[in-house]
Amino acid sequence: MRRALGLLPVLLVAVVLTFVANQFVPGDPITTLLSDRSGDAALEARLRAEYGLDRPLWRQFGTYVAGVLRGDFGLSFRFASTPVIDVIAPGLLVSPLLAGGALLIAVPLGVTLGVFVALRRNSLWDTLVVLLLVAGTSVPNFALAAFFVYLLSVRLGWLPVAGWGTLSQAILPVLLLAIPPTAYVARLSRTYMLEVLQQDYIRTARAKGLSRRLVVYRHALRNTLVPLLTTIGIIFGGLLSGTFVIETLFNIPGLGRMAIQSIFARDYPVTMAIVLLFTFFYAGINLVVDLLYGVIDPRIRMGATPAGRG
Amino acid sequence: MTGPGAPAAALAIPAERAGSDFWRRFQRSRNARLGGILVVLVTLAALGGPWLTPYRYEDTDLLAVWAEPSRAHLLGGDALGRDVLSRLIVGARVSLLVAVSVLGLTLTVGTLAGMVAGYFGGWPDALLMRTADVVFAFPELILAIVVAAMLGPGTRTVIVALAIVWWPGIARLTRSLTLGLRTELFVDAAVVSGTRPLTILARHVLPNVVPPLIVRASIGVGFIVMAEATLSFLGIGVQEPLPTWGGMIRDGLVALRTEPYLALSASAALGLTIVGFNLLGDGLRDLLDPRVLDR
Repeated sequence: MRRALGLLPVLLVAVVLTFVANQFVPGDPITTLLSDRSGDAALEARLRAEYGLDRPLWRQFGTYVAGVLRGDFGLSFRFASTPVIDVIAPGLLVSPLLAGGALLIAVPLGVTLGVFVALRRNSLWDTLVVLLLVAGTSVPNFALAAFFVYLLSVRLGWLPVAGWGTLSQAILPVLLLAIPPTAYVARLSRTYMLEVLQQDYIRTARAKGLSRRLVVYRHALRNTLVPLLTTIGIIFGGLLSGTFVIETLFNIPGLGRMAIQSIFARDYPVTMAIVLLFTFFYAGINLVVDLLYGVIDPRIRMGATPAGRG
Repeated sequence: MTGPGAPAAALAIPAERAGSDFWRRFQRSRNARLGGILVVLVTLAALGGPWLTPYRYEDTDLLAVWAEPSRAHLLGGDALGRDVLSRLIVGARVSLLVAVSVLGLTLTVGTLAGMVAGYFGGWPDALLMRTADVVFAFPELILAIVVAAMLGPGTRTVIVALAIVWWPGIARLTRSLTLGLRTELFVDAAVVSGTRPLTILARHVLPNVVPPLIVRASIGVGFIVMAEATLSFLGIGVQEPLPTWGGMIRDGLVALRTEPYLALSASAALGLTIVGFNLLGDGLRDLLDPRVLDR
């Protein structure tokens, strides 16, 4: 509960920051909206009133915060008089679908890979897979995309190059989105597995005659999974950022592509609404993970914050 | 990510352990060696930059528009007929320049803030930790994208945006290291003998904070290069006519079907650079102290 309350000021600051960001962006949105009808003073005044830009800044801020709490992010600058929420609504499900699909691939595959190489420490396999994992966690997915799209779509013609709507169009984006978290999970499970395998209780289990296989799956694996749980937050952060790139790349009508498009269209209310949504979601996931961690491992229920970014 | 129970005192690295043994163990780690080689190559390309390139990066040649690789243009030409190899080499310079600037900024600010917060505690500490919390509340790349969008595209924007995202991590790491050092005997001794706090920070704390920071920084270069490329790929980073790997990949992907060389070679350059810095950083971390950082 205390952690949940501790989140509030952070979220409030996030709202303040996005509001301030809106004030600082270059250019006057109303002038842009008017474009060819500039000089029409009556229309300009009407628009300013409609967007609430004629009121003092602190009133605007109050309205903005009250709106955000009700899920109302104001009006879009690009599509005149359209609420931001209507602009982003079509993409609301797309990005979670992509990220969720990627997560479903990443966790089981990552754990399997990590355990596989942990059991073959210092072999050539280990070196090779670790090399691949370093590449997977650190090389941005648009660079990997170049190779994947070229090979699978252009050369072999197995998958469509871009677009959205059919299952085959989703395979490549989800796969590319899944690569960094898969590699990340694998690296961590390798590290944790190696650590767990050196514990006394593993030696005890082996000493009382349990097979290596049983010890690994029953005893070691379970204790490897607990610390992995804390990283779900980081993984989600990466996936959310990943949707910006992957959606832009594959022309997928999700929130990420919308955020980038609205940056170029100077439609800042839309950009900021999406950023706020992602931030709320990210903070929520991290909170849930923190709470879960205490439930699963009572040793760390109070006191030290479980591992986060640091 | 710092492990829950990482003992802070173990972070100070005894000089003799880091010294004699260091090269032998570095040589033995296959991946660290590979990383070292890649980093040296990229650094040479970045330093050599304009003197190495067969053409000037901004020169256009109508006959070389989307040219296939040939003896005249080893990696072909791009949409404007510019030599891809030349642009790749200058791209290394741009990438590393951004990385070095960001590191310079963040290490200065982060180390100072972290040492002051960790040593004195009180309100500077509270201020630092709350600021860090706010920055960490955003997924890092998304925050960088927002800041870049606010400031408008450009090289300076990228540097500022990435510095804003990156410095709290450095500050937090320095703070926790300083907290551990504050209880060390040699710091107590300095306090008792009347050394002024700032002198203690500069003489006794700083030297012990630097080695873990070096590890963090070398892994950080990989992240910064990646983040710069992402911003440039999205079009809100380094701008034309300056070549950037992210921008080249974006331009190349559009023509991937017919002219794959641009996208593939730029992706390879970017990928190898990032992998190089990460392998080197991981290697350094394992050698200097296996327990400092997970990430």
